[in-house]
Amino acid sequence: MTQLSKLDLYFSFPQCFFLYSVCTGRLYFLQDLLSLTPIEVMRLAGQSYQQVLVLLKSVSQSCAPSMTTALEVWKQRADLCFSTSLPGLDRLLQGGLSRGTLTEVTGPSGCGKSQMCMMLSVLATLPKSMGGLDSGVIYIDTESAFSAERLLEIAQSRFPDYFSKERVLEMAGRVHVFRELTCQDLLNRLKRLDEDIISSKAGLVILDSVASVVRKEYDTSLPGNLAHRSNLLGQEAATLKYLAQAFRIPVVLTNQITTHVGDGGERGAVSFTGVPSEEGSGYVTAALGNTWSHSVNTRLIFQYVDARQRQIVIAKSPVAPFAVLNYSVQKEGIRLEGNYDNQEVAHQGTDPGLQPIRVWTGFNYNLMKDTCAASGQLKLL
Amino acid sequence: MQRAVSSYPFAPSVKVKLLNAGFHSAADLCDLRPLQLSKEAGISQEEAVEVLQAVRCEPGQERAAASQLTALELLEREQELGSIVTFCSALDTALGGGLPVGKTTEVCGAPGVGKTQLCIQLAVDAQIPVCFGGLGGKSLYIDTEGSFLVQRAVDIAQAAVEHCGLLAEDAEQQESLKEFTVETVLSNLFLVRCHDYVELLAETYLLADFLAHHPEIRLVVIDSIAFPFRHDFDDLSQRTRLLNGLAQQLIQMATNHNVAVILTNQMTTKVWNGHSKLVPALGESWGHAATQRLILHWEGTNRLASLYKSPSQTEATVRYQITAQGFRDVPHSNQPKASVDPTVSQSGSMSKRPRMEEV
Repeated sequence: MTQLSKLDLYFSFPQCFFLYSVCTGRLYFLQDLLSLTPIEVMRLAGQSYQQVLVLLKSVSQSCAPSMTTALEVWKQRADLCFSTSLPGLDRLLQGGLSRGTLTEVTGPSGCGKSQMCMMLSVLATLPKSMGGLDSGVIYIDTESAFSAERLLEIAQSRFPDYFSKERVLEMAGRVHVFRELTCQDLLNRLKRLDEDIISSKAGLVILDSVASVVRKEYDTSLPGNLAHRSNLLGQEAATLKYLAQAFRIPVVLTNQITTHVGDGGERGAVSFTGVPSEEGSGYVTAALGNTWSHSVNTRLIFQYVDARQRQIVIAKSPVAPFAVLNYSVQKEGIRLEGNYDNQEVAHQGTDPGLQPIRVWTGFNYNLMKDTCAASGQLKLL
Repeated sequence: MQRAVSSYPFAPSVKVKLLNAGFHSAADLCDLRPLQLSKEAGISQEEAVEVLQAVRCEPGQERAAASQLTALELLEREQELGSIVTFCSALDTALGGGLPVGKTTEVCGAPGVGKTQLCIQLAVDAQIPVCFGGLGGKSLYIDTEGSFLVQRAVDIAQAAVEHCGLLAEDAEQQESLKEFTVETVLSNLFLVRCHDYVELLAETYLLADFLAHHPEIRLVVIDSIAFPFRHDFDDLSQRTRLLNGLAQQLIQMATNHNVAVILTNQMTTKVWNGHSKLVPALGESWGHAATQRLILHWEGTNRLASLYKSPSQTEATVRYQITAQGFRDVPHSNQPKASVDPTVSQSGSMSKRPRMEEV
């Protein structure tokens, strides 16, 4: 926090967020005043208590966000969601990925997360009549998983009538790829992302992936690193949420998986495929911990059923129930399998931070029943 | 200050005794305590208290009278205020009728367990008309995480309106149903989106005025109070101070303006003795901030709500579920018996996998 010395107050610009000190000639942010008690402000400003209350009230009025009602938001509902072009998923999510929120796609390696991201990039550039956003895309790639060839292949396979040679190249020109390989670079990029969003007229931001940079640099077994990492992730989440809401765009993040070492007791999770569970000593879950699970608004888990079949699990969503959809990765991107007209939906679920994820390892890796509190050694990779 | 004792409207005998004891003007009496005065002047204690209160400045007397209430008056006031139902009857019973108005309640829970769903449900339920047993008020929703989605609010509002429609019996209820539609519910739900703790603090400063201008507001939701305070602070003592100040302001607003305040908190992982546990975030001292504390947690695939702290209700754990209509009871009658200590893990009951229910 900036140290405030004795101030004289000038209110020549009541709408601005700074005040000018005559004594020291420095600028301070008015919003810091809100963190002080009224007595401290009295001392610094040299004003009486009543005057300070009036001052704090006008500062609050300039800092406070505007108020609206739910009805006004609902009236603009045509623009609430971004369709994923997967009808089963869209129906469960009541329209698609919600604008102004963070959607996380997590799962084991090779499951199709980057494929999903590239497919969404193509969809965003489509005109609105085809369900797209008719906008640019900002793709922040930290794992070098982005392949321009694959992007073009998805576009041409999924919409062969629409994407002629010129259109496909034009589409490729609207996807802006940034490569960031360290945490600090990523944070700096996010802090200045609003400029990039405006200049590229982006309607979708993809961050692939959040976990890789963080796990490279933070060893959570060392003291202090866990708190630092949580702090960094919190800042990233807050910046992304602000961008999502300010520009009314969906933000998609990818995450990795980690092993949650249990205590060998029986654990369980909702399993829709009827595979019997076995004893085991641990299971795989989404990385980055419990706090990160709070920060994302929607969590989609991509997992393996067996060598051929894969599933999308809606693990956390403000609008969708806990549901499972089967999919496969094809030339045109992600394709849902199965019939979803009479979808079986359960009003159950599990903690999205502890939802076990099925990993293809060649031998049967099974889910264990969950006990109440997460007691056991939590080893974060 | 120099007003003569004889000019005050005391009983003549009291005046005579005061003058005989040597008290001629108000200034002489100002610094005395009642016991001293009664001994010196030879008047009774009640008379001494009367004299001193009359002699001191007027505002002090009024202030003393205003902040004093008997428990009987408080009881009447609390019964008038009512509570906001959650549509989960087990939880309502545990809370003593619903979320109490005039108090602050904290809801903590793991991610995805239903805190935002509960908040949206309450924001709709606060608007249920009075003749259906509701409060007929408006709601203010302060969103710091971006998890308020208006589609969900529409679903919940629709279900609530339909539910009341089924219950309507007499003409008065039918009449009030015309005022209770999805559009009016949405228009009475005020929405503010705060991005960081500064905006939240600013909004709270302005809240008192806002509530004074909108006296029909019965519920203020802050979802969540943890998120803006968890990552921006290097100085934890400043965070504690700000949080406590915020809690105090909210309690004040709850009492002065007759609103129910509900705050959502997150869970954090605490590692000790080689074990890790999920505990409510924001530190130990925050536990004292709210009057009531509700913890929502997972047990396998079930969602449980535990009332951990309440001045008037006993600790209890109930099951609930989130359906397309919102926050509801679990239909089968396999509620766990209201256990007093929900932290004791039930290791013996894990023999069966939960059955899939087709809805």
